[in-house]
Amino acid sequence: MKTDHKRNFSIIAHVDHGKTTLSDRLLEHTATVTQRVLTEQHLDSMDLERERGITIKSHPVTMHYKAKNGELYQLNLMDTPGHVDFSYEVSRSLAACEGALLLIDAAQGVEAQTVANANLAVDQDLVIIPVINKIDLPSANLDLCLKQLEDLLAIPAEEAILASAKNGIGIEEILEAIALRIAPPRWTDCGETRVGVFDSVYDAYRGAIVYIRAFSGKIKRGDQIVMMSDNTRAEVKEVGVFTPSMQKSETLTAGDVGYLVCNIKNVAEIKIGDTITHYHNQAKEMLPGYQEVRPLVFSGIYPVETSDFEKLKAGMGKLQLNDAAFSFQAESSMALGFGFRCGFLGLLHMEIIQERIRREYDVDIISTYPSVIYKVEKVIGEVIEVDNPINLPDPSAIERILEPTIKATIHVPNDSIGDILNLVMDKRGVCDHTETLDETRLMLVCNLPLNEILVDFNDRLKSITRGYGSMDYELDEYRESKLVKMDIMVNGEPVDAFSSIVHQDKARVKGKVLCEKLADIIPMHLFKIAVQAAVGGNIIARANVRAMRKDVTAKCYGGDISRKRKLLDKQKEGKRKMKNIGNVSIPPDAFIKVLKNDRD
Amino acid sequence: MQAGLKATIETKKNELGSEFQPKWWGKTLGLYVHVPFCATSCDFCAFYQVQGDRAGIRAYLEGIEEEAAQAAVAGQELRTCFFGGGTPGLLKAKDLQILCETVRRNFRGSLVEWTVEMAPSTVKIDKLKVLKEQGVTRISMGVQSFDDALLDKLGRQHSRKQILKAYDLIREEGFESVNLDLIFAIPGQNEARLKEDIRQAAQLGPDHLSTYCLTFEEDTALFVQLSEGKVALDVDLETRLYLTCWEELERLGYEQYEISNFARRGKQCLHNVNTWKMDQWIGLGPSAASQFRGRRYSNVPDLDRWLEGVKANHPNWIDQSDLNEALLLEDALIFGLRMSDGVDLNELQERFGRKLTRSQSKTIEALESDGKLRKSGGRIRLTKAGRLLSDAVGSTLMV
Ligand SMILES: Nc1nc2c(ncn2[C@@H]2O[C@H](COP(=O)(O)OP(=O)(O)OP(=O)(O)O)[C@@H](O)[C@H]2O)c(=O)[nH]1
Ligand code: SF4
Ligand SMILES: [Mg+2]
Repeated sequence: MKTDHKRNFSIIAHVDHGKTTLSDRLLEHTATVTQRVLTEQHLDSMDLERERGITIKSHPVTMHYKAKNGELYQLNLMDTPGHVDFSYEVSRSLAACEGALLLIDAAQGVEAQTVANANLAVDQDLVIIPVINKIDLPSANLDLCLKQLEDLLAIPAEEAILASAKNGIGIEEILEAIALRIAPPRWTDCGETRVGVFDSVYDAYRGAIVYIRAFSGKIKRGDQIVMMSDNTRAEVKEVGVFTPSMQKSETLTAGDVGYLVCNIKNVAEIKIGDTITHYHNQAKEMLPGYQEVRPLVFSGIYPVETSDFEKLKAGMGKLQLNDAAFSFQAESSMALGFGFRCGFLGLLHMEIIQERIRREYDVDIISTYPSVIYKVEKVIGEVIEVDNPINLPDPSAIERILEPTIKATIHVPNDSIGDILNLVMDKRGVCDHTETLDETRLMLVCNLPLNEILVDFNDRLKSITRGYGSMDYELDEYRESKLVKMDIMVNGEPVDAFSSIVHQDKARVKGKVLCEKLADIIPMHLFKIAVQAAVGGNIIARANVRAMRKDVTAKCYGGDISRKRKLLDKQKEGKRKMKNIGNVSIPPDAFIKVLKNDRD
Repeated sequence: MQAGLKATIETKKNELGSEFQPKWWGKTLGLYVHVPFCATSCDFCAFYQVQGDRAGIRAYLEGIEEEAAQAAVAGQELRTCFFGGGTPGLLKAKDLQILCETVRRNFRGSLVEWTVEMAPSTVKIDKLKVLKEQGVTRISMGVQSFDDALLDKLGRQHSRKQILKAYDLIREEGFESVNLDLIFAIPGQNEARLKEDIRQAAQLGPDHLSTYCLTFEEDTALFVQLSEGKVALDVDLETRLYLTCWEELERLGYEQYEISNFARRGKQCLHNVNTWKMDQWIGLGPSAASQFRGRRYSNVPDLDRWLEGVKANHPNWIDQSDLNEALLLEDALIFGLRMSDGVDLNELQERFGRKLTRSQSKTIEALESDGKLRKSGGRIRLTKAGRLLSDAVGSTLMV
């Protein structure tokens, strides 16, 4: 394939606007995947993605399309996630592209991540093809969408393609636009070979599989290569393309997207954003790297079985290869023993990682209450960063505590503005300014403490606006705040893993909610169990775990003690799957559950 | 080694006989004989049972003869015996006689209690006469319910009329003690219907009653119905029915001495009480469990394989475990607490020569402060609320 007939593009949008469904239609129309094997949301190949109906990872696939002008084009598509926690995936995918399909749900209009993702594409100088999707919906509002396109995104309305990924409307037009409007591969004339690493995944048989975009030159099996960030040398064992499954090929040349397997054993040596070049003919300059991602949310992850520590560590290492935004570091807890402090981009990210560890690495884990990074100025003048409530110094040693805040861009329908402002206030936020988007919608720009929006802000925003509100955010400055450490005691014993840092004025309410939820999640025990919240030694809230009323089997016959013991043993086994603190069994997913909003 | 010395050692060992065992056990021994034959399979049954033919029964009786001879060791005095099943009553009078003689021939000691289980439909005058002659003292009859509709639900093979008839026959023969088994929480059975069953049972005047909550055990027809959603579990109702049994029977003068066992004063089933106190017993027949000479084991639940083992003098055992003080203490505690009398902690700790674990003691304390257990004069007993939780208590006490 001639390089100037290759097109690299991502599909980007707000969450649920139909990216993966549109990918299905493109795969189908280009006969990349035959009708027979095509499943719905085909590229969401991870079990977790299919179960939840959301995209978590970017998925590349190469297609071929014969355009109306008679020319054959190679189209490299990247389906990206829409959820704000995974925007890092989006920006990495965009870095491997020259264009982007920007989807807008015709019934929802432009939402917060539509704007955020469009901006990412503009920043990288990509051609944007706007697509109004879901026009089949009765509630589709084309006029509004087209107007928003011009007003909010400064994209001419006539560029928009009207489509329905579900009903296959506009697919041909989209393919034509990709072939004709998106620029051919850039940076091809460098002279030496330059290949960008945009992702990687660990494979039990082949080791690290590196996802690459070739910008100039070519790469094939047997090549001696160098990872430019640290000059690691390696030999290429295999290259191939995504169809979307991995398929071996001869060579990858400029403009291609594919994968590479080399003889690097240690998965930690693969760096996302690195540039690969030939050892014998090295490029002088690396490709533009990625902005380093900084985790915003931290939580401890511990093996339920202490003996699983090493297994967990190895699993996390491999997982990190597939998720550069995830970080981990050994730590220990009184209640949980040895584990890891892990960093995530948000709560969904945290939940997904934990679930992947459980499934892909088969380790039962328990996690602690999430925290953000606080800056603590001590009386002695020193400033420390605290991402674990356990490490908060004694109040007497603290001069002041600063907490991270975010700048949130919130899109809401006009009629819910009052409720949203109350919500922002309730979350200790301030609204800096509001802007009219169009006759039905407003945009608010607010400053909010990060720790307040983590848990249920988005859910409440959705419920107040009946699904029409959306939010995007970026980190803002640190602000001084009256924060205290809230401890949780189960059956009178403090459980450090459940401690959290909360605003002084909210401790009572939060403690109450937390205790009640925990009491609900901890299964019935033989005894009544008290769950208490305390600040500085004072109990501020309390709830009881219900005690069970009946657990008896009548028969105990013929002296068959062994049989009865087995029965009791089974019960005990059930408890072993949980984390036993004192004589209370706590389910490993207790904290994920506590964080789930059940307000509505 | 000299032949003489070898012989001496053997004799010494034999003389030691019952002494050749840890001090936790008394000299008495219980015998359980499992008779695995049933006419048909009941819907709720998880016992090991087969449909018996002539040849199968003959082979079984021969097998028991051999197994008894192998198990009967010098010095051990049999004190109680229990024929359970299956349906022991299904055996013909002649076969029952063989089985009883086998026991008497092989084991020493005078039995203070000898129970035979009988299904109402199997009670016949000739059988009762043989049993009485042989020294059987107690008949345990699986009545289950007096309500013909509920009996149908259980896939049972008898009617209320048959029960009454059978009971009269047993009494006429003059057995010392009679037990009736009732089942409760049968689909469709509410408190009123259970009370009615209890009333009718008590009216007959047995000196012992057992009430079992219907359990849905795997591999039973009832379990299949449950998983198909044809019947449903109702834990709250079960709880109420347990309490109904306890309260009604107490009112009628039957003292509860275990979760599901009630008796007139002095009429408790000694055989069962001894197993719950972690004494020794030998089980004969397929699937029968034993706790004997420092070991616990069960025969394979398979007639043919059991026979094979017995014939080869190489028993086919499953679930074997060596006993030790800690395990026995734990079990004596768990099973003892199922009894209304509870356990005497000092006695128990002395008997097994070790203390409760810290967590066991903590559990006991917590149960007490929670009103689930009461202490008095060195004994601990579960309260009603505690007894309703005895499985949870048991699993918590397990180390
Ligand atoms: N009516 C209608 N529904 C659509 C259309 N396209 C997608 N959907 C539905 O919208 C929902 C979300 O579709 P996805 O393709 O998973 O959306 P996505 O943008 O990939 O979602 P994320 O990857 O989680 O951000 C699914 O229920 C689709 O069936 C369309 O054209 N019309
Ligand atoms: S319940 Fe008794 S009679 Fe019925 S099948 Fe089981 S063992 Fe046989
Ligand atoms: Mg998707």
